[in-house]
Amino acid sequence: MSTSLSPLIHLIDDDEAVRSSLALLISTVGLRVQAWADPATFMTTFDRDSIGAIVLDIRMPGISGLSVLERLMSQNVDQPVIMLTGHGTVEMCRRAFKSGATEFIEKPVNDEVLIEALQSAVRQHVKSRERHHIDRAARERYAQLSEREREVLALIVAGLTNKEIGRALDVSPRTVETHRANLFTKLEARTLAQLIRHYANLVDETTA
Amino acid sequence: MLRRLIFINPLRYWFLAWCTLGTIGAITLAQQELTKLREAFETDARIAHRLLSQRAVQHEAILATLALLQPKHDASASVQKLSTLYPQILKVQRRDKNAPWAETSLTAAEVISRTTGRAALAEVDFQHERYQLLLSAEPASFALQMDLRAVVPWSEWPMPPQTSPVRVTLEHTGQTLTLQPGRINQGGWRFEFHKHLAADSQPFDVVAVRQVGWIELPWAWMLGWLIVVALSLIGLFAMARQRQQRLRAEELLRLGQIARLNTMGELAAGMAHEINQPLTAVLANTQAAVRLLSDRPPEIIAAQDAMAQAVDQARRASSVVTRLRRIIEKPNETKLPEAISLKEVVANALHLLEPELQRRGIATQMLPNEGVVTVMAEPIALEQIIHNLLMNAIQALEQVPLAERRLDLSIHADHGQGILVMTDTGPGIASDVLPRLFEPFFSTRTDGLGLGLSLCESLANRMGGQVSAATHTPRGASFYLRLPLGLA
Repeated sequence: MSTSLSPLIHLIDDDEAVRSSLALLISTVGLRVQAWADPATFMTTFDRDSIGAIVLDIRMPGISGLSVLERLMSQNVDQPVIMLTGHGTVEMCRRAFKSGATEFIEKPVNDEVLIEALQSAVRQHVKSRERHHIDRAARERYAQLSEREREVLALIVAGLTNKEIGRALDVSPRTVETHRANLFTKLEARTLAQLIRHYANLVDETTA
Repeated sequence: MLRRLIFINPLRYWFLAWCTLGTIGAITLAQQELTKLREAFETDARIAHRLLSQRAVQHEAILATLALLQPKHDASASVQKLSTLYPQILKVQRRDKNAPWAETSLTAAEVISRTTGRAALAEVDFQHERYQLLLSAEPASFALQMDLRAVVPWSEWPMPPQTSPVRVTLEHTGQTLTLQPGRINQGGWRFEFHKHLAADSQPFDVVAVRQVGWIELPWAWMLGWLIVVALSLIGLFAMARQRQQRLRAEELLRLGQIARLNTMGELAAGMAHEINQPLTAVLANTQAAVRLLSDRPPEIIAAQDAMAQAVDQARRASSVVTRLRRIIEKPNETKLPEAISLKEVVANALHLLEPELQRRGIATQMLPNEGVVTVMAEPIALEQIIHNLLMNAIQALEQVPLAERRLDLSIHADHGQGILVMTDTGPGIASDVLPRLFEPFFSTRTDGLGLGLSLCESLANRMGGQVSAATHTPRGASFYLRLPLGLA
């Protein structure tokens, strides 16, 4: 998986000089850069699974950076997008953030501002991918539970003791104990805290 | 804000307006004339009826007098004298008691007169303009033979009998006698008057007819009215068109100004982008170089490449600026200075700014000078300088109360230079601002571009002149424009 490599920054700007200089600047902090002159080529060919961020110039011939941004968002691209502009108006800035941009930086770019923004975007992306990954695994395990086990889990998450659960479900506390043991095995949780942290949301989702 | 142009109707609406107004006026005039004619006709007809009635009553009175006095047969001179007194009486006849009348019509009338107790008509012969009137009495009855035409009192008649357009007739049991022929035209309007004589013994019908022909309408007045309306509408049309043209010219001027501003804005935005791109590259390259050099060990080759790129991009930015200069300076190359009257240009600029000055209540005064000062200048550049200086003064004067806004202008010649002095009563110029006043992009206003006065200076310099400023205590400022004198 591409996560094992260092993060990849996609840089889209139609100006060759701007592109190469920004690419050089970004590479000095050890981030990999892939530079694109043409937004359309970028849209069709870039690696959507890679960890990293997208740096997008607003003013480009043919297609505006804002519409590229809107298309990326509509295609559920999860890489954070940093917009670059020569003369940012408030309106443009508002539109960019509304469309889902993470940052809005004015040209000429101050190196520290850009690098700080990129690093924070990458961190954010890594975290969101991890969370997403954990979520998916948890969902799969949760799907294996029987109906009764889900009920027990919901009551555990609600903070009830075995006795109380038995009373609520009209079974003996021993039976509850068995379900509880099965739950911990199936959901691969070692402690009660882990169980609650990873599955509380899922329980809320399904019972809601 | 767009001011709406007055919409001028097409020519046919103006024509329609002329037709409508013209017709209404003409009809009113015709109606007034007809009313006047009718009133005159009715008055005349009433008078004619009254005169004829008076005569008829007179005849009754004569017969009554004869019946009362009973004059002797034929012998009485007084009876024959009646004809001389009353020319309408042709003959007086008398029937003594138990004697017969000569004519049977008189005998029949005698019967009627006796039963009614008043005079009665015996024979009515309108063809020969005669009639006989009889009164039965004791012992003798009397009859008068009348000449109908002589009955009419022509001396008192209200109309000229030969030329009057009114036809007057007497009618009685199918007989008609034309007293006055009148003129009966074809078509038009017909006025009629019917009334019996106010004497029961002679129930003749007085009929007056007046036929007003088309020809009698007040055509001259009606035509005059149409012409007046046409001329007024032409005047209005001309005024409206003139106003529209003026508005259109103003609108064009305003649009031109907006277009120029837009072009300026576009140019500025374009320039900003063109310069910003290489600047971004320069900055990114140099910053990358700094980082590469501070690595341990420093990556000198990569840093050198980055710096070389930065140099290229700096050159690119510089070439953009050069290109801009060429674009801006080109249009003025061909203008040559010429001898122009400074006063005329000032008057022209003041005229253009008149609305601005009035709106802000600024009193301007041109101080008198001796003779005409002619300078060598490019007319457009000179206008631009004066315009900018005036605008500057207007903006300064906006900062002081209305009553204190004054702008004095004076022109004089000195040491081979024509000098225009513009003194305002504005807040004056701060001492730290004064030395920087003509610097490009220096402005004390937050929204000012800071190019107005700088442009004035560079334009004046190009024509071999100068612009300078002085501030006054407690306040106010003067701007001096000096230009080389031209040959008068």
